[in-house]
Amino acid sequence: MPLVGLPIIASLIIMATVSNLSEEVREKMVNPIRWAILLFSLGLLGLTTAMFYNYFGDINGFEGIAFNTYEFTARYSWVDSLGIYWSVGLDALSFPMVWLTTLLLPITIIATWDEKNGAFYHPLILLMGGALIGVFVSLDLFMFYVFWELTLIPMFFLILKWGGADRKYAAQKFFIYTFTASVVMLLGLVTLYFLQNPLEPLAYSGSLTGRTFDIPELVTYAQNANMNGNWFLGASMQKIIFVMLMLGFLVKLPAVPFHTWLPDAHVQAPTGGSMLLAGVMLKMGAYGMFRLPVALFPHALEHFQLALMAIGMISLVWGSIVCLGQTNLKKMVAYSSVSHMGVICIGIATMQPIGWAAALFMMFAHGIISPHLFAVCGAFKHHYHSMEIGEMRGMAKHSPWLATSMMFAWMASLGLPLLAGFVAELMVLIALWHFLIAEGWSVLWMVGPALTIAVTAAYYLWSMQRTIFEGGDETQPPASMDGHPIPDIANHEKLAMFVLAMFTILFGVMPWIALDMMNDWTIQIFEGLIMPILGNFSGGV
Amino acid sequence: MSEVTYVQPFDENFTTAFCPELVLVAGLFALIIIPNLGKATFRIPGTQIRLPYFLGGERYSAFSNPRLPSWIAAITLIIAFVEVLMTFDGGLQRYMIVSELLPTTINEVNSGDVLVNGGSHILPGSSKELLLINGFSRLFEMIFFGALSLAAIASMNRLQSFDASDRSTNALYNNRRQADFYILLLTTGMGMAIVALAQDMFVLFLGLELASFSSYVLVAFHKESKEGTEGGMKYFIVGSVASGIGLYGLSMLYLWAGSLQLGELSVAFDAAMSPQGSPALPLIALGFVLVGFGFKVSAAPFHFAAPDAYAGASSPVAGILATASKAMGIVGLTRMLLIVASPESSDGSAIWLVALGILSVVTMTWGNIAALGSDNPKRMLAYSSVAHAGYMLAGLTAIGAWNWDPRLAGHGGDAAIMVMTAILFHLVVLVCFKLGAFLVLSVLESEGEVSQMSNMRGLAKREPLLAVSMFIFMISLAGVPPMSGFMSKLLVIMGIVKVAIGDMGDAISNGDLLSIGDAHWVWWLALIMVLNSAISMFYYLRVVVTMYFHEPEGTRQGPLPNGWQVRTAIFACVVASVFFGINADALIELCEMAANSLNYSWASQ
Repeated sequence: MPLVGLPIIASLIIMATVSNLSEEVREKMVNPIRWAILLFSLGLLGLTTAMFYNYFGDINGFEGIAFNTYEFTARYSWVDSLGIYWSVGLDALSFPMVWLTTLLLPITIIATWDEKNGAFYHPLILLMGGALIGVFVSLDLFMFYVFWELTLIPMFFLILKWGGADRKYAAQKFFIYTFTASVVMLLGLVTLYFLQNPLEPLAYSGSLTGRTFDIPELVTYAQNANMNGNWFLGASMQKIIFVMLMLGFLVKLPAVPFHTWLPDAHVQAPTGGSMLLAGVMLKMGAYGMFRLPVALFPHALEHFQLALMAIGMISLVWGSIVCLGQTNLKKMVAYSSVSHMGVICIGIATMQPIGWAAALFMMFAHGIISPHLFAVCGAFKHHYHSMEIGEMRGMAKHSPWLATSMMFAWMASLGLPLLAGFVAELMVLIALWHFLIAEGWSVLWMVGPALTIAVTAAYYLWSMQRTIFEGGDETQPPASMDGHPIPDIANHEKLAMFVLAMFTILFGVMPWIALDMMNDWTIQIFEGLIMPILGNFSGGV
Repeated sequence: MSEVTYVQPFDENFTTAFCPELVLVAGLFALIIIPNLGKATFRIPGTQIRLPYFLGGERYSAFSNPRLPSWIAAITLIIAFVEVLMTFDGGLQRYMIVSELLPTTINEVNSGDVLVNGGSHILPGSSKELLLINGFSRLFEMIFFGALSLAAIASMNRLQSFDASDRSTNALYNNRRQADFYILLLTTGMGMAIVALAQDMFVLFLGLELASFSSYVLVAFHKESKEGTEGGMKYFIVGSVASGIGLYGLSMLYLWAGSLQLGELSVAFDAAMSPQGSPALPLIALGFVLVGFGFKVSAAPFHFAAPDAYAGASSPVAGILATASKAMGIVGLTRMLLIVASPESSDGSAIWLVALGILSVVTMTWGNIAALGSDNPKRMLAYSSVAHAGYMLAGLTAIGAWNWDPRLAGHGGDAAIMVMTAILFHLVVLVCFKLGAFLVLSVLESEGEVSQMSNMRGLAKREPLLAVSMFIFMISLAGVPPMSGFMSKLLVIMGIVKVAIGDMGDAISNGDLLSIGDAHWVWWLALIMVLNSAISMFYYLRVVVTMYFHEPEGTRQGPLPNGWQVRTAIFACVVASVFFGINADALIELCEMAANSLNYSWASQ
């Protein structure tokens, strides 16, 4: 699977070489390095796109494959004694995420083309991309966890070396917060690992332990154990392990009350770091939920359904209310991410097929829109040296490109119809409606999310009005400009934002390009796993 | 498993069996003799004939290089290390060195004598087992010699030496110290090797003291700073009190069992633990002995001297204390807890289980919390080493519970072997990243004091490669994948969980409703361990942040003093830290083989 290994190895080689060069040579090397990395990441994008169009022809496509089967699989022995394999594969759950990562890599590199100390910055972005792809393609618990943690390292350095004034605190908080959650998750995984029946070892078991880390094997094992009203591992054990795993994923997502690392990390992170963090890294949490707890423990998911729903609701409402009070542009965008992740949480908690498909599409759509938001914030910071909403006025007059981009991104994020975000939000609301009817609850519960959309519109429009339009002819440049002329964004930023905007429109007008395979995956998991185990749902498929 | 070959000292097979240790002895002699070779002559009385006897007098110029002792020591240790590695090649031949062994031709066969070595020899009943060479002891020797050779190579840049033609007092004094330091290094290795091999508590104690006394002096060897002498003194006082208590415990054991042979003690202990036995005296003795070894592994509350000693000693020596010396303590603990007071003595959970569990929790938590507050990088590493001792003690605790689950009958030993494998793996890779971290500090030390975190500021600007190495060591210590530190911590956690879960998987698939409360309580040790490793993230990251975030302080600008030897050693550590994380399989199998050879009752279960 060259997708995982190559970016990591390439970036490590570049960084090792570069660190031995003197300052002057390093400066000269920046240009070739970033061109090489751009071309490399474009190559990756081409590869995944070719996979999407089934160019290689040896697969059935991502639609119509049964639950828990994968395409492009490869398996190599890694640590025999523990049953660890380098095992990769793609299905309709992971493929959109992989494609999204490979799309965002070149865009991030273009958007932050002239980031300082580029000889290290661009390889780090590539390393980050490689690790993220690794998370999504791995079909082995150990490998999954290794890449899960590996993503922290480049992000830690991106924040620490290229971040804002308070980056030291933010980088450490980010690292320790998510690390703590994931070690608890690790213990959950290890406990799960040893709860396999040693007398009937699964395939790919380790010679020392007699158990396997293989995800497909485990899912099948759990699926069989969950049948006929039984709980896989027994009720209380299943709940404990479910909670341990979910802790890791909810912190990464992040959901209120585990979200406090995110605003700090985002505000301090450099633009490129924020783009990848919001675009892909947060989705690791939602992806992990679908991949492990949902697939392994449907009973526990049903048991904790309302708790998850409550967490989602609170994230959604709380995230947007906090946004109203922000004066820092980037912090506002960061909290809006919390709010959108709440939407994903609600989508999963509805346990309706349409809700899950919506969550999947939300992951994808937010992955395109939020990098756009952060690219705008980054350009703002880069050119005006300020992030305060009130300081900058009348942008429409003097920076039309940035103003347009900002307007577009803001509109996409608040869920304007025909843009990608709208599809997902609408689907989640439908799923929530189904859920409320099915549970026999009052439909008045819809008021919360519906009002939140109004609040979202309020803070976005309000911030737009203050930065873009207010001031009219007498534009008021921010004090931090010291009276210098106000530049508009550079060409490479225009290009990156334009591409993102195009994809937002593309997936808003023709959501089925991605949505079809997600729908299909949802139908497969409901038909293959959820309905046989939990019985039929009134929402139906 | 091949049969044990019994060997009498200096008999046939002895050199084959004892090869790495004999290399050390040869190196020791070479270290003493070679720097002293000179043109000394002896005049036969009453004549004018002068006979050269080569020791003393004006030294030959070829042997007067002050760097020579360090090379002799380093090469000796490396050869010993390679010898140990080679014994693993193609199946390990096990040897037992006994005090008395007779050829079968002698007809005085008494009761209690056995025929050994395929019937060719008689092992008299009065014969004592002295040293056992098997996978377990060889693996520890590998750790000791590996750590010591790295430290020897790294120390070449740490001990000041002058050109031999420089006749100033300072130069003469410093050049003379070179040999002393490396002699002590070799005797430390010798003592440690004896501890690893010993089958008799008295032999073990001899080795322990040989290694301890050498290391006391090594700690105090760092005379450039006041802390060196102070640390050495504290280490000596606390260490000798701990040894004294341990010796007292040994004497009580002897009083009680009439022997210090591990095998005989084990049998006697089992008898004492039976309902008819009286366990009071052996238990008190066991407690005393554990104090001695607890000090060596720096388990709380016997760890108080460790931070002072580490901070006072020169960094390579501190690295030895944190790795090889700790491994030596673990050997002692293993012998006492798993062989003498072996867990199978009382229905599955050893008598010391709860005590050791509490000790491990206290040790890891105390170590981590104390490390949070220490501003001295070496003290921080010392406390982190206390925390790591806690993780290993948690593993040992889990072994104590290895057959708690009656359903496990038949294959419970797998779990014990798994934990032992994990502990051994941890000890091996600890040499890579703990010692490596100390070596990076050693490079910094050659420029000036390293007593504050701020001394490391801007290392990323000054020495990018060193900073990257330190970063790898730190995240390896913290247990971040894909470093070897993660692999070892994962193995320990997996081992503990495996013991705790026992055979619940089978029971669950048969329809039993079990919860985490039905697992053995050592599962909670694993939880405390992962939470502790999250705490430890704080101080490891602080080092990284200091190196990458802050500007170099004051006068400490630019690249550090050169020294290719120490840099080579650091590079080796980095490569090993990463390699064993990514490709752990071979090492795990080696450790598993060693763990298998420790206690045959596991394998037979």
